[in-house]
Amino acid sequence: MGRSTNSSSSSIDSSNHPSLSCASSLQTKKDLSTDLRLGLNISTSSEIDNFSNNSREQSSDWPPLKPLLRSTLAEKGSNRQRTSYFVKVYMEGVPIGRKLDLFAHNDYDGLVRTLGQMFRTTILCPDIDGVLSDNDHVLTYEDKEGDWMMVGDVPWEMFLTTVKRLKITRADKC
Amino acid sequence: MASKRQKDSPEEEKKQASSFPDEVLECVLGFVKSHRDRSSVSLVCKDWYNAERWSRTHVFIGNCYSVSPEILVRRFPNIRSVTLKGKPRFSDFNLVPLNWGADIHAWLVVFASAYSFLEELRLKRMTITDESLEFLAKSFPNFKALSLVSCDGFSTDGLKAIVAHCNYRNLTELDILENGIDDLGGSWLSCFPENFTSLEVLNFASLNSEVNFDALERLVARCKSLKVLKVNKNVTLEQLQRLLVHTSQLTELGTGSFSQELTLREYSELESAFSNCKNLYTLSGLSEATSLYLPALYPACVNLTFLNLSDAALQSAELAKLLPHCPHLRRLWVLDTVEDKGLEAVGSSCPLLEELRVFPAEPFEQDVVIGGVTESGFVAVSQGCRKLHYVLYFCRRMTNSAVAAVVKNCPDFTHFRLCIMNPWEPDYLTKEPMDEAFGVVVKTCTKLQRLAVSGLLTDLTFEYIGKYAKNLETLSVAFAGSSDRGMQCVLAGCPKLRKLEIRDCPFGNAALLSGLERYESMRSLWMSACHVTMNGCRLLAREMPRLNVEVIKEDGSDDTHAEKVYVYRSVAGPRRDAPPFVLTL
Repeated sequence: MGRSTNSSSSSIDSSNHPSLSCASSLQTKKDLSTDLRLGLNISTSSEIDNFSNNSREQSSDWPPLKPLLRSTLAEKGSNRQRTSYFVKVYMEGVPIGRKLDLFAHNDYDGLVRTLGQMFRTTILCPDIDGVLSDNDHVLTYEDKEGDWMMVGDVPWEMFLTTVKRLKITRADKC
Repeated sequence: MASKRQKDSPEEEKKQASSFPDEVLECVLGFVKSHRDRSSVSLVCKDWYNAERWSRTHVFIGNCYSVSPEILVRRFPNIRSVTLKGKPRFSDFNLVPLNWGADIHAWLVVFASAYSFLEELRLKRMTITDESLEFLAKSFPNFKALSLVSCDGFSTDGLKAIVAHCNYRNLTELDILENGIDDLGGSWLSCFPENFTSLEVLNFASLNSEVNFDALERLVARCKSLKVLKVNKNVTLEQLQRLLVHTSQLTELGTGSFSQELTLREYSELESAFSNCKNLYTLSGLSEATSLYLPALYPACVNLTFLNLSDAALQSAELAKLLPHCPHLRRLWVLDTVEDKGLEAVGSSCPLLEELRVFPAEPFEQDVVIGGVTESGFVAVSQGCRKLHYVLYFCRRMTNSAVAAVVKNCPDFTHFRLCIMNPWEPDYLTKEPMDEAFGVVVKTCTKLQRLAVSGLLTDLTFEYIGKYAKNLETLSVAFAGSSDRGMQCVLAGCPKLRKLEIRDCPFGNAALLSGLERYESMRSLWMSACHVTMNGCRLLAREMPRLNVEVIKEDGSDDTHAEKVYVYRSVAGPRRDAPPFVLTL
């Protein structure tokens, strides 16, 4: 770990100035929790100790929000707030699928590039690349209504609101 | 009165004293509504005490364990409306284990014999089972209004019992708010009898299940006195429009989901339905509202005084377009998705605003740097909304100077609740503690009744509070303070303090015991994850026999450490229904 977690900074009691030692220990909190996990016998105040491990978030008693508001926020569908949106991707003929974070891309180009790398194939968009031969692949998606559509027709933002999963199919199927 | 009788002979005096009939006094006292005034009245003399107890029809009990149902019915024989609060407030945040108590059933049994004419029951943070709901429905033929806020223990089956058994002439209010309820489906709505027409208040916004919409529509159509209707998320926009057709007299509306693909015709039908709602003064719901359909609402906002957008993740532009349509707004609740820019719009569009609550859309993201609201949004609101007196503000950064600016603009705060979400967070610019911020709040806002503090705080904050916050009644403290001195200053300095709730602070036995003389004049004290020990609690219990000193034991916790302590005054003695993990010392 390198950093010396000496006992003076980690044992917080009323006689110290806990606000200052709290502040500095907050920066080291990640180190402390690593040390704790490694089983080192370091006594920390219950405040830092309880807060630095993840159980705080799981038991969700901070910040002070009522459970209903909490669960509403957790489900909240606002795309603008979500940091990731993973969808399943299957390639025709390959039984095991992959998962891809759509929010990690800004447009169709990025998506196609990533998929190309994931599945080691070239995915073509019919409008851009002209006529397709039977051995090429195209990208399709299942939308909210359960229909399978060609990727690329609607604006990227609209696509994000309606896509449920992706499939790379052979061009001769389209 | 008494002064005029000074010169009379003793017989005259006696005659005059008895010639003022009790009935007259009771009649006069009937006009005294506030429970605090009634408490004062009852202390004047024995006659007044008796007149007051016979004439009281509504009783408010802030802590259900402070008194027993038997004592209550003995003192007040004519109660028609009861308001009861149960668990400590921190139970809202999962700090109190399940099955802690505050079960209403024992009270209902006593009420069934003493108050068979009971009309209203309002419960907050109590446990109520389906069996109790059924018992309630069957025991009180005059029952009119049931309000359950943050309660648990029941399911929609219990609601079915209320709805099916209630006297169809009388039930006017069914208000189910934010409860831990077992949602077994929406069929309870179909259980209202067909000849049932008296409903005035129906609020099921926090239930998650599908509802039987036909039953709901028929119910709404035949209840011509319906004033408050708050539906849940599963009611669509198109369904809402159908409901609104029947309810132009609504004063409070909670919509269901506000996103759906509407045709142009459906949209204009929705818009005209809202145009008919000219009497609305409260609007809430609006989950998943988008800029596409919000304009349909505008005609209904003309008389709004309370707009609750805490379910609608609006952006600043959407809020800025909506607010000018609400010229009379006094209370506004929003999510921090509106950001500082949205709060600037609040400042410029809402000059009459008295209350603002800003909730976090992403409360569990520790490392969010962008988004949310900051100190500048807070200042912007205060610049435009000089009448602001209630604020609840969740943010990730704040500065001492911003808070100073805010209270300079708005010195009349009565409720100041600032939650800087990362514990021990210092002033964003100066990196100093936030002591000066709360210092200026208590110095400037002399009417302050409720305060919640956060951020990096030393004992200085509490010195300020003890010195200046002379009207403070409720104080919430988390992750703050340096030593026992902090809590001691508050207990010594705030004469009107009634509720003190503390978590994760370095306050120990010395602090706890410094309040020995205070706790009997307070409703309750909560301390969790502090430095209080079992011995300290035992000492408190021994010195103050009229207090209930309870320790909640957690599994695996150290035997000498008192992890969660709840202290409250009571005339009912120690709890008889305490579960094994609650130790009364």
